[in-house]
Amino acid sequence: MIIHFRFLSCFSLLCFFCFASQKEIFAVQNVAKKNSISGKNQKKSKAASVKKRKTLLKSSTSLSNSEIKNSPPVRPNLSLRMETEQIKSAASWIDRIISDSLIKSGQKPNALSDDFVFLRRIYLDIVGRIPTDEEARDFLKDRNQEKRSKLIDKLLISPGYRSHLFNWLADLLRHKGTIKRTNYSNYERWLKDQIVKNRTWNGMVFDMLTVEGSIASSGPAGYLLRDPGMPLDNLSNTLNIFLGANVACAQCHDHPFADWTQREFYELAAFFGATDVSDRDPRKVGNKLKLGKGDLSKQDVIKAVAPNLARVHTISSQKLKFPEDYAYSDVKPGSPVDPLLFIWGEEEPSVDVDSENPKNLRKNFAQWLTHKENPRFALSIANRLWKRSFGLAVQEPIEDLDDLSKSSNPILLELLGRIMVASDFDLREFQRVLFNTKSYQAKVGVMPKSADSDKYLFPGPVLRRMTAEQAWDSILTLVMGENLDDFKIDRSHRVTRFEFPFYEMSPQAVVKVIHDMKRKGHVSKNIGSRLNELDFVNGKRPPKIEGEYLLRASEMTQPAKDNHFLRMFGQSSRDLVNDSSSEGSIPQTLMLMNGEVQYMLSNTESRLSRKLKKSGGLEPAIQFLFLSFFGRPPTPEEIFTIKTATENGMRPEDLTWALFNSTEFLFVQ
Amino acid sequence: MAMKDYYLERRQFIERCALGAFGLSVLPNLATGAESSTGNGFGKAKRIIFLQVKGGMSHIDTFDPKVGPTKGPGDAIRTKADFQVTEYLPKTAQIANRISVIRSMSAKVGVHGPAQYFMRTAFTERNTIQHPNLGAWAQHYLGSSHETLPSSACINTSPKNGNGFFPTAFSPIPILDPQKGLRNTKTRSGSEDLRERLALSEKLSSFFSARYPDQRVKSYREFYDNTLRLLRSKDLDSFDLTKEPVSIREKYGMNKFGQGCLLARRLVETGVRFVEVATDGWDMHNNLQGEMEDLSPSFDQAYATLISDLDNRGLLDSTLVVLATEFGRKPNFNGNGRGHYPICFSSVLAGGGVKRGFVYGSSDKEGAYPDDPVTVHDLHATIGWAAGLPLKKVFQSDSGRPFVVGGTKAKPVLPIFA
Repeated sequence: MIIHFRFLSCFSLLCFFCFASQKEIFAVQNVAKKNSISGKNQKKSKAASVKKRKTLLKSSTSLSNSEIKNSPPVRPNLSLRMETEQIKSAASWIDRIISDSLIKSGQKPNALSDDFVFLRRIYLDIVGRIPTDEEARDFLKDRNQEKRSKLIDKLLISPGYRSHLFNWLADLLRHKGTIKRTNYSNYERWLKDQIVKNRTWNGMVFDMLTVEGSIASSGPAGYLLRDPGMPLDNLSNTLNIFLGANVACAQCHDHPFADWTQREFYELAAFFGATDVSDRDPRKVGNKLKLGKGDLSKQDVIKAVAPNLARVHTISSQKLKFPEDYAYSDVKPGSPVDPLLFIWGEEEPSVDVDSENPKNLRKNFAQWLTHKENPRFALSIANRLWKRSFGLAVQEPIEDLDDLSKSSNPILLELLGRIMVASDFDLREFQRVLFNTKSYQAKVGVMPKSADSDKYLFPGPVLRRMTAEQAWDSILTLVMGENLDDFKIDRSHRVTRFEFPFYEMSPQAVVKVIHDMKRKGHVSKNIGSRLNELDFVNGKRPPKIEGEYLLRASEMTQPAKDNHFLRMFGQSSRDLVNDSSSEGSIPQTLMLMNGEVQYMLSNTESRLSRKLKKSGGLEPAIQFLFLSFFGRPPTPEEIFTIKTATENGMRPEDLTWALFNSTEFLFVQ
Repeated sequence: MAMKDYYLERRQFIERCALGAFGLSVLPNLATGAESSTGNGFGKAKRIIFLQVKGGMSHIDTFDPKVGPTKGPGDAIRTKADFQVTEYLPKTAQIANRISVIRSMSAKVGVHGPAQYFMRTAFTERNTIQHPNLGAWAQHYLGSSHETLPSSACINTSPKNGNGFFPTAFSPIPILDPQKGLRNTKTRSGSEDLRERLALSEKLSSFFSARYPDQRVKSYREFYDNTLRLLRSKDLDSFDLTKEPVSIREKYGMNKFGQGCLLARRLVETGVRFVEVATDGWDMHNNLQGEMEDLSPSFDQAYATLISDLDNRGLLDSTLVVLATEFGRKPNFNGNGRGHYPICFSSVLAGGGVKRGFVYGSSDKEGAYPDDPVTVHDLHATIGWAAGLPLKKVFQSDSGRPFVVGGTKAKPVLPIFA
C-alpha cells in the first residue's frame, strides 16, 4: 500500500519553521521510553495481581472477608501541560494553512462567531452540555481580552470533560455495560479513570491491546473481550478505530477496492494468534462443578464465574491458520500464518518482532500500532477529534484513510498528525489547540453535500445537530443546573468483587470460594438492576424526578435502554464502531413533543420551573428562558412574537415547550 | 454514524433527505428491470407480516408431525388441506388450506441471538456491519409505503437496527406493547394547545432556519409537520386497538401476541408495508409438553385468526404472512424437552401469491434431515420475490461492501407461488 504524500516535502519545511523554535516546548515524544514506561506499569500491575493471588490461595476466606466496594476515585489531573503561547502558536498554524487553502480557491474564512454562539458551542464541545443562565452571564459580562481561552482551559479541567469524552469513546469503542451475561463496568471505570488522569492516547491503546487478565481483575481487558470468539472482527475494528483502515472485506477475500489483501490481514491477525479471548459460556462451567448439597445454585456459580471466564490470556501453542477456503495460490489453505507487520511506505516504525515468543507478539503489534512514526495512528485520532469539534473530518470517511490525497486538505491533516505527536498524544492538549483556532471559533458553515465533502475547506465548523448525549445532558442542565456533575455512578464493584484465580484452582476450591462469597452476601448483595448505595460515587445519591434518578448519559446504563430518550435521539446501540445517529424520526419527534422530558422540564421541582416562577414578569421570563435554552438574549422580533402569543393566551410553560421544540435548541451553531 | 449520509451516492442522499423518515417519498417505484415482467407471483405481496417465534419452534411438535421414536407429546391431526399438523394447532388445522408449509428449512446457526439475527436479515451477524431487515430493503427499492405512516413497524420487540446499512429513517417504528400503541401521541394539554405551541415554535425556528440553508435544519421542521399531520390524521387510529370491536380483539386473543397480530393487520391495512410481530418463550429444553400446552393455544388462535381475518377482508392475496423461527428443535425426544436444531425445521408462508394448502420440501422420517433444503437466504429471496424486489440488484453500503437481498447464494422458491 502506497500513500501519496504529495505535499510532504513542502510540508516538512513548513513544519520545521513551525516547531523548530519550539523544540523544547513541544517535548518530542520518545515512544520507546513511553512504551517501556507502560511496560513497567504492566509488570507492576502483574506483580500486584500475583501477590493478590498468593494471598487468595493461602486462604480463600481472606477474599470473602473483604468488604464489597469500588476502588476509591482516582485523583484528577488538573494541570494543563502546555503554555498558552505554545497552544496559540500551534492554533495559528492551523489557521494559516486553512486560510491559505481558502484563498487559493477564492474563498475566505468565516467571521469570528459572537460570544453567545461561542459560549454555547464551547460548553457543548468540551463539557457536553449547554451553559446555565448564570454561567452564560458570567462569561458575557467578562471584559477580559483572553476570556475565550480562559474559558477553554477552565472547561477542559472541569468534571464535565470526563463525561463528554467518555460518551465519545464509548461510541468509538462500542462499550456495553453487559456482554453475554458478563458485566463490563470495570472496563468502563478504567476508561473513565484514564480520562480523569488525562492518560495519553498511545498509552491507553497500548494497555488495551496488551493487557492480560479477566474483566474482573483488569479494566482494559474489556477492549479485546468486546468480540468474544470473533478475533478477526475484533482486529478489523482495531484497524478501523486506531488506524483508519477499512479492512473488513479483507477478512474473507482481497479487498476489492483498496490494496489490502486477505493475506496481509491474516498476517496482522497472527499477532493475536496466541491470544485467547474465547467465548466461554459460564453456564457450562456451572454444569461441570459438583455443587453437592447446599445452598449454591447454578445461577450463583454463573454470577461468580462469568467475570473470571471473560479473560484475555496467551496460549503459546495456539497459532492462527489461513482459512480452509483461502482462494489464492500464494499460501496453502489451512497453513499456519506467520505474523508480519504492515508496511505503509517509506516511513515505517521500526519494531522488532519477537516471533519466537508468542507472549510478545501482541506487545510488538501494539508498539507498531501506537508508534509515533506509524503514519496512521496519530492521523486517525487527530482526524476523529477534528470531526468531533468541526462536525466534519479533514478526511472523510474517517474509517478509510487509505488514500490521504483524498482529504480536503492533506497539509492540514499532516499538521494535525504532527501536533498530535508533538503533544505526546495528549488528547486534552490537542483539543485545546483546536478550540483555540480562529477556524473553530468562526461562524459555522452549512454541511456540504456528499459529493462535495472533500471540497469543504473549513472556513468554520459546520452546523451540527447535538448528539443524543449532549441533548440529554443539556436537558439535565435545565432541570438541575451546573451541579449535575456531582452525581456519578460506578458499578465496577459488581464485577471486581468476583475476582478469584478461577483457572488456577481445583473445582472443589472453586466451589468453596463461591460458597464463601455466597455466605458473605457477595453473590446477591447490591447487584440487581437497580442502583444502590455502593454505586453512588462518594456516597452522593442523585436527585430524582418522576421516580427516575437524574443522571448524565455517561453515568447511565451503557447504552441506555431501547426506549430511553438517549436511544430515541440517536445514541449508538454500541454494536458498531461510531454508530450514533443525528437523524430524526417521527417517534423521536413525538418524544420531544410529548415525552418524559416534558415532564422533567415542567416539574415544579426543576430548576427551570423554580427560576421561571421567580423571574418576575414576562420580559424577564423571556430573557431567562432564552439565556437558558440558547445562551443568548432574545431579539426584539422574538420578544414581539412571544408577547403577541401571550396576549392570545400562551402560558409560560407553553413558551418553555416552544423553545425546547425549536430547531435552535437541537443544533450546535 | 452521525454524518454518514453525506457520503452517499446522490440518489441515496436524496432518498434520505427526502424526508425523512417515513413520509414524503419522492422516489419513483424502482422495481423495474428484468424481473418485474416475470410472473409466478412476483410483486404480488404489497404488504408483509413477519412473525418471529423467539426461542426456536419445534417443527416436529407443530407443522411437521412424526410417528416413531422422535414423535413428541402431541398427536398428528388432520387439517383442511392434505397435510397434517399436531394437535397443538387445532385452529391452524382449520385454515391449513390457505397456507404453504416449507418443511425443509435448513441453517447452521443454533444459538439464539445469532440465529434470530440471521433469520431476520439472512446475513451472519458481524461486529463490523449491520444488515437490514426486509422492510428496509423494500423501502429502499420501492420507496415509502404511505404518506404519513412509517413503512415498517415491529411489535413486541425492539427495532434493533432493522434499517441495517440503510438510513436510520428506515428503521421500523417500535411498538413494545400493542395495547398501548404508539408512544407519546397524547399531548399533556390537548391538541388545540399543541397547535398553538407548535405555531410559536415554528415561528421561533423560522428565524434560525432563515440563517442556515441546511438540509438537516429543514428536515427537522418537516418532522414536526409530518408528526402533526400524523397526530391529526385518522391513520393514527391504526395504532389504537380500542378502535377495534371487542369481539375481534377477543378472537385474536387478549394476549401480547394475539393483540400484536391484530395490530399488524390494522397497520398493513392502513398502509404500513412491513410489520414484524414477535412471540417469546419457545425455548423448550426441559418441559416441552407443559410449555406447548401453555403457549400453543394463544399462538394457534392468533395465527389462525390473522390468516382468516385477512382472507375475509380480501387482503390475503396481497399480504404475505411469514411464520419464521430461529431454528427447529432436536428430533431426539427424551420425554422432557428438545435442544436447538438448525439443520431441519419448518417455516410457513401464507398469502401474497403463495399457493393455498401446499407443502414444499420434506424432512426424513425422524425430522432430522431435509430433502431439497431451503436456506434462510432462499426464504428471504422468496419473500423479496413476492414483494417485487430486484433480487439481483447489488447495493453498495457506505463502507463499499456489496449486498443483495438474501445474500448472493439466495434463490427464491418459485414452486411455492400459485
